[in-house]
Amino acid sequence: MDKQNFRMKIQKFSGKIQSNKFLGSISNGLMLTMSVLIIGSIFTLLDSINITAYQEFLQSTGLKSILSIPPSVTVSLISLYAVATISYSLAGKYNKDGLTAALISMMSFLLLTPMGLMEDGMSTGIGTRWLGAPGFFVAVIIALLVSRLYVLIVDKEIYIKMPKGVPPTVEKSFASIVPGIIIATIMLALRGIFQTTDYGNVHSFIYSILQVPLTNLGGSWWAFLATTLIGSLLWGIGIHGTMIVYSVMAPIWTTLRLENLSAYQAGLELPHLAPGGVFQATYITIGGSGATIGLAIAMLYATSKRYKTLGKLAILPSFLGINEPIMFGFPVVLNPRLLIPLIAVPFINVSLALGLTAVGILPRLAGIGSPLGTPMFINGFIEGGWRVAVFQVILVLISFAIYYPFFKKIDVEAYNEEINAENAKESENVILEN
Amino acid sequence: MAKKILLVCAGGFSTSMLVEKMKEEAASKGLEIIIDACAENAIESNLPADVIMLGPQMGHAEDGVKVKVGPQVPVTTIDMMDYGMMDGEKVLDAAKKLMGI
Repeated sequence: MDKQNFRMKIQKFSGKIQSNKFLGSISNGLMLTMSVLIIGSIFTLLDSINITAYQEFLQSTGLKSILSIPPSVTVSLISLYAVATISYSLAGKYNKDGLTAALISMMSFLLLTPMGLMEDGMSTGIGTRWLGAPGFFVAVIIALLVSRLYVLIVDKEIYIKMPKGVPPTVEKSFASIVPGIIIATIMLALRGIFQTTDYGNVHSFIYSILQVPLTNLGGSWWAFLATTLIGSLLWGIGIHGTMIVYSVMAPIWTTLRLENLSAYQAGLELPHLAPGGVFQATYITIGGSGATIGLAIAMLYATSKRYKTLGKLAILPSFLGINEPIMFGFPVVLNPRLLIPLIAVPFINVSLALGLTAVGILPRLAGIGSPLGTPMFINGFIEGGWRVAVFQVILVLISFAIYYPFFKKIDVEAYNEEINAENAKESENVILEN
Repeated sequence: MAKKILLVCAGGFSTSMLVEKMKEEAASKGLEIIIDACAENAIESNLPADVIMLGPQMGHAEDGVKVKVGPQVPVTTIDMMDYGMMDGEKVLDAAKKLMGI
């Protein structure tokens, strides 16, 4: 009874994290940036394929300078996009006009960003450094803060009400004036305050006191070991652990990944050992949460009908990193007999991957971030070349070796049950003692 | 009018597999049922529906969804095994029962 109670409590807590408006709108907002971010990733790849003949061709045709444009207006400006998409998501969760909130947030973000006159004396330059990965935390904070403030102001109905008969669009455009003015004033005040400090602006303040320490913490060895363990344990009690962990870690993991991607694009040394979610998808949860790819392969050798059927169904999606059929159909969740491999395999994966990357046997991952559903080995190859892909093959074998003995026992039992059921000739109604 | 079954999930990848299986099942039985899937935060824009079925990983949201859609729409969590085995027939049967057809 106590155990049940404990499980319910964790389930409730996870439900709260998962339905938390702020965390939810960060991950939703980041998902919305995917459409432009992926363009940056594709062109980064095209620009940097390391084949001499190909690079010479790019140089001689002048294509090189053209290929590098898409990354510099996507990846390098990601904070500008994210501030809009995150606040759009949050306002939507409060059933408010997302676009207006997004625009006000974008304005606020720019109000806090340093700018100045360019050398030509005519055009104003915005500090693009802060519009890329270094400004990401400010983007998240401003998006949540401004969007929530916008909702609050609209809810308090301090907008200008129009008499009946006025076209709704007019009211809408006037409605956005009040929140805009209040928020812009606050932002300008913030800007002014920070100008008097040593930091000079909000960006460098947040960057040095929050973003750098938190990303170092979140990108550390023990953080990855801990998140992997927590993710597996949550799955063990039937909760989508991967999603829970992601919704908490998203801002940090995204920063890690983007900083690697920016460095990769610039041809610099990659700063982070483990670029967040990309590292997780490539190594830790290969074949889906719990790294069940080995279990999926084991099922192809099943003697029982039940697991043979499930194996056929699950194997292809597994190679694409989708394993809900296994998690719920086997089931792996709430199944004490599979708890050991469920925890062990991802943990071994993360330990090996961190270790081998640290000593330089594996390259650091570029943070390209191929979309979910990209086949394994291909996603590894894209992130770091053949060594990563080969290591993924090894991880699959490890997963198979660890899951197989546990699977075999369960499979034999299921097979015997099936035989007994057939012998008893009253197949459906026979209940066997476990 | 055709009845509508709305499946709710997190990522949407595996649920889309189940939706396909259920559609095949409905087609083979000659049933005219609309079967659709969406994320939890998009439920409202996918209403009206005659039954809402949550993926097992979304079970914790059942009470919240019930409040959101009101008492006239039955809300249930799909059986874990039926979901995992992508058993279109069983899930469709469960939905039909809840819709009273």
